[in-house]
Amino acid sequence: MPKPRQPFADWLYGALLRILPFEFRLEFGSDMEETFRLQRVETGRDYGFRALLRMWSATIADIIRMAPREHASVLRADVTYALRMMRKNPGYTAGAVMILALGIGVNTSIFSAVNAVLLQPLPYVEGDDLVVLRQRGSAPGNILFSVQEINDYRRLTRSLSGLVEHHSMAFTLFGGKEPHRVRAGVVSAGFFDLFGVKPLMGRTFVPDDDRPGAAPVLVLSYEYWKQVEGGDPKIVGKVFQMNDKPHVVIGVLPLIPQYPSENDVYMPTSACPFRSKPENIADRDFRMMSLFGRLKPGVSTNDARSDVARIAQMMAGAHPKSYAAGFQATASALRSDLTTRARPMLLALLGAAGFVLLIACANVANLTLARMARREQELVVRRAVGAGSGRLLRQLVTESMVLALVAAGIGVVLAMGSIRLLAQFTSQLTPRAREISIDGWVLAFAIVCATATTIVSGSVAALYSRTDVKLGWNDGRPGAERSGRFVRGALIASQVAFSYVLLIGAGLMVRSFLQLNRVDVGFVPERVLAVSFQRNWLKYQSPESRHAFADQLLEKVRHMPGVSSAAVASSYPLDPENSAIAQSMDHQTHFLEEGDTRPESERPAVRAVRVASPDYFRTLGIPVISGRGFLDSDRAGAPPVVLINQSLAHEAWRDADPLDRHISFDGGRSWSRIVGVVGDTREFGLVPEVPFQAYLAEAQFPQTASVLVRAARDSERLAGLVRRAILEVDPETAITQAETLEQARMDSVASPRTTTRMFSLFAVLALLIALAGIGSMLALWVRQRTREIGIRMAMGARPRHILARVIRQGMWLVGIGLSAGYAGAVGLTGFIQTFLFQVDPTDGATYAIVSALLSGAALVACFVPARRAARIDPQAALRCE
Amino acid sequence: MPDAQSPLTPAMFNVMLALADGDKHGYAVLKEVAEQTAGEVQLSTGTLYGIIKRLLAEGLIVEVRRHPAIENDDQRRRYYHLTDSGRAVALAEAERLERQVERARSKQLIRALKPV
Repeated sequence: MPKPRQPFADWLYGALLRILPFEFRLEFGSDMEETFRLQRVETGRDYGFRALLRMWSATIADIIRMAPREHASVLRADVTYALRMMRKNPGYTAGAVMILALGIGVNTSIFSAVNAVLLQPLPYVEGDDLVVLRQRGSAPGNILFSVQEINDYRRLTRSLSGLVEHHSMAFTLFGGKEPHRVRAGVVSAGFFDLFGVKPLMGRTFVPDDDRPGAAPVLVLSYEYWKQVEGGDPKIVGKVFQMNDKPHVVIGVLPLIPQYPSENDVYMPTSACPFRSKPENIADRDFRMMSLFGRLKPGVSTNDARSDVARIAQMMAGAHPKSYAAGFQATASALRSDLTTRARPMLLALLGAAGFVLLIACANVANLTLARMARREQELVVRRAVGAGSGRLLRQLVTESMVLALVAAGIGVVLAMGSIRLLAQFTSQLTPRAREISIDGWVLAFAIVCATATTIVSGSVAALYSRTDVKLGWNDGRPGAERSGRFVRGALIASQVAFSYVLLIGAGLMVRSFLQLNRVDVGFVPERVLAVSFQRNWLKYQSPESRHAFADQLLEKVRHMPGVSSAAVASSYPLDPENSAIAQSMDHQTHFLEEGDTRPESERPAVRAVRVASPDYFRTLGIPVISGRGFLDSDRAGAPPVVLINQSLAHEAWRDADPLDRHISFDGGRSWSRIVGVVGDTREFGLVPEVPFQAYLAEAQFPQTASVLVRAARDSERLAGLVRRAILEVDPETAITQAETLEQARMDSVASPRTTTRMFSLFAVLALLIALAGIGSMLALWVRQRTREIGIRMAMGARPRHILARVIRQGMWLVGIGLSAGYAGAVGLTGFIQTFLFQVDPTDGATYAIVSALLSGAALVACFVPARRAARIDPQAALRCE
Repeated sequence: MPDAQSPLTPAMFNVMLALADGDKHGYAVLKEVAEQTAGEVQLSTGTLYGIIKRLLAEGLIVEVRRHPAIENDDQRRRYYHLTDSGRAVALAEAERLERQVERARSKQLIRALKPV
């Protein structure tokens, strides 16, 4: 009998019911349809069309209203079920949560940096309109601005408003407990207004503060006010002595990231003794300032760029003596200027992190599958009773969502733990690194990660489950399984390859770091203490007074108990103060040689000219290779002498003897005789190139800022004594730093150490995830073949044969992954070449060690499921099928 | 049994009342509720089966396999039966409502009504 055709109204009602959860429809669907049919027929018959319409609208509204409630109740049930399953399978739960937590953690952590550095606007009012101006000549490096130039830009610009200047200097501040060396930011009046910074207390600078002869005033940074002044609420109005003038505190800044440099205090240009000198103001070539501006409304950075370039051309035309050919100027957005270097690295890291998350997802999907083999029966039944793939997907997705949210929680904790390392790493690339934190955006990102993870791993599992369930029903072996296996195999091989590339990167970094630590610094840093100081320069204008200070200080220090030798110098090797300046390559001195008419540019540029007292070389353990060191007889008035380092001797005179030649560092005004050649030292950090160096005698050029002490035993204990000695010689001296040279050496590799740690962390993470992937894939493989293994064992296969077969299965994929990884690593490690020190990116030893390490770890990961396979009881295996 | 936190809604009580004098299928419940309340309470199918689901889950009603002997009965229809605990809950609710009406009367809120 043909089935009677269903009326449209009933069909419509059936369709409407589909917005209710599957379970509800399964339970009540057909009953509801029947009830509705009766209700519809009777209402139409007894009450007419209008009543029927009313009934329809009530029914539709009712179902729409109840659908969310019913779905929520299913979700609650699913979550409860998922939690029960998690508790029942602690091994699976721990594995999956760990893998996802690592994946989400690393993404959240990298995103926190990307967010703070690249995405968030600058922490200033309309920060995106701020631009920084730059001048360049034909040589690399930027040229700073002079007062004359700043005035020209202010006068001629059409695109920028409020051009402000900034430079930073160190001064000694008196008025506290002891003299304090402070970093002073010297800024023009509108500086804080341009950045939109409002003072926490008092006021910032107004144009009157900037007028020549104005009473000197100071604005303190929040950090200085808190740390040095103890957050004194009555600080405004307090008077400090600086550069022999009273300076009145007029305000305190709020806690803001300070750009372009961090300063303790700020002063207006009129208070800086160098910037305010009339001859410096008049000198177009006296360049020491940076220049910032704000785009006028409606003006683009490009407009500003051409505007600034135009002004530069005008200046060059009007003052040809001050500008060489190739002089140009440009403007760039402060925001992009601050992050140019960090952008590619952070984006590359985020890409790699995304990939880590993807393989974490795939592995969790695999783990879920291995576990689901046990639930196959349940899924088969559910499909048989009509659960659509959508419904199964929902159940699986809920389970993965619960897992992912737990993992995201742990991931955020991991990210919080790694923030310091990440900020350290990023600070090598951008000053915005200090803004890195876990904020609402980062938390939202973690949740997005968790959701993405859920969708990927949940649906992968559901997709497989559909194939597997079908298999279970038909008991057939269609091609779908082969393709599934292929996908899983490719997945494993690709994550082995990926972690191999990362491990090679990390391995190279570690080797490079070891090489760095093995570098001969050219001096003996053990037991040497360096204390740096800054005198009140106004009191020490004459060379005699400065030499007298050094003499008295040395006399005191030499006679301290436990001191085996001591020296004073203008600086010392690996002095952090020096390294920062000198690494910029701007710091070069050319010299003339008597009787040599070659231009300066053809002679090697000297990177460091150090003033040192006679015992400097003995104290630091720098060998005198030929000639002699400084003697007490090299005093003021005696013929000036100079020492050079070995590299300079070789570069400038090749095989000829440099001794007794006369050279000048001041364009020929004074000549010094080379009396000795000393060993090379790594002055500015552990870098491959040795800087060319010269030394002048302290008595002849008294410019000292450090005292160096070699201790008989423990140098650190001497720090207090040396500090006291300096203050005894002159209590108006600020002690700026006290460190041992071993510490200085450690600090000089802080940056590569951070980079190495970052890479290693990443690599270990990828390795862990890949190993978990191999293990879970094999576990699934073993589970799916329990019956086959059972039969093999029943037919006489030994456990070790089974063991070998499973391990072979896994290691075959690892082998493919390693080969692909090798090719990838050779191709990609060029990327990290700039981070490497005396290590070839294709270093054989690193490749061999990493290959062995990865293979060994993979072998262990394979061994665990293989052993389980070998322990299968053939009878139980056959029975369970 | 439902706890104190989940009191019966008027609609639930009406459904239970409809089942108090015999097992019924969904449409019969719907119809009886409408008739008993003189059309004041008109349940839609969605609300009805939402209530049935809840009453089933709380054990206040059960589905019965044995259908009452009714002419033209469709064998696919499902019949519901008020359980003993359901009956007790419905009774408790009725008594509660009665006490409330009593109170309203003692406050002379419903003077117009004749005493019972």
